[in-house]
Amino acid sequence: MLMPRKVKHRKQHRGRLTGAAKGGQTVDFGDFGIQALEPGWITARQIEAARIAMTRYVRRGGKVWIRVFPDKPVTQKPAETRMGSGKGNPERWVAVVRPGRILFELAGVDEELARGAMERAIQKLPIRARFVVRPGVGSETEVQVQ
Amino acid sequence: MAEITLVAEVRAERGSAASRRLLAAGRIPGVVYGHGDTPVAVAVNARSLRAALSTDAGVNALLDLDVDGERHLAIARELQRHPVRQTVSHVDFQVVRRDEVVSVEVAVNLVGEPLAVSRAGGSVEHLVLATQVRAKPADIPSSLEVDVSEMAIGDTITLGDVALPRGVELEGDAETAVVVAHPPKAIGADGAGEAASPEAASES
Repeated sequence: MLMPRKVKHRKQHRGRLTGAAKGGQTVDFGDFGIQALEPGWITARQIEAARIAMTRYVRRGGKVWIRVFPDKPVTQKPAETRMGSGKGNPERWVAVVRPGRILFELAGVDEELARGAMERAIQKLPIRARFVVRPGVGSETEVQVQ
Repeated sequence: MAEITLVAEVRAERGSAASRRLLAAGRIPGVVYGHGDTPVAVAVNARSLRAALSTDAGVNALLDLDVDGERHLAIARELQRHPVRQTVSHVDFQVVRRDEVVSVEVAVNLVGEPLAVSRAGGSVEHLVLATQVRAKPADIPSSLEVDVSEMAIGDTITLGDVALPRGVELEGDAETAVVVAHPPKAIGADGAGEAASPEAASES
């Protein structure tokens, strides 16, 4: 599973999940992508489950890019512990995702296969997401204005 | 390339609230600049802009911009988009002269089916999706096309190999690989294939 090799601080504040993605909003490497439609934390396990679902469906060929990295530690106190005595132990790593963020990209397969693979990957994610095609792939040439 | 006429009005109100009101009314806020003139804040009709930028000339179409009666030859330099809806929320128009060479980004599209590669179970990786070129406004191509039908496994097409239309000059490094044909990769034990390799898990 994805996780940082080393970190400066073991425990972090939760932070806020407002607004839309500031970067990583376009399909930059492959031909197809999964775009987040909701804010949320995606755990390393969920990223790995989505990747496996996608690569198993594609079977052979194709290249996958993971565009998010779980670099935020989430802590949890043990069960049946009294409150207090400091912050809990780091339990898992999450990627902070805001709407518009491209989560995965795929290339080297046709659109039908990519759509099937990515729809299965979306099922593994805790947020609403959609399949997107890079402009210029296939017949999509119209500029979307409003 | 025939230019497309686009009517723009000078807008007095600035700021995000005024821009939101314009967008709700079906108009796109924008700015016209270039040649050392004072930038002018404008608004254009969303439908007209869509029609102007959806022709065969693409997003680098040469526009005949009518700003309250004053005509400018311009290109849409930058489109700001909503991160989820992908609708245009702001447009930059750069005033150009017919005889000056401008630098623009042009999409690089692949054409043809790499049969030799797909028969051998390999894959074609498209590395450069857009590149910067220099051309006179009338010569700007809508896209550059790279024919991959003759590719075999191990072949690489660089930017220098891309056929450029007359009057178009490449700005980037000619040695940059645009398309690479990779050999087939072994499937891992978990069915993960190539994605199990560490470089596929790119941090962005």
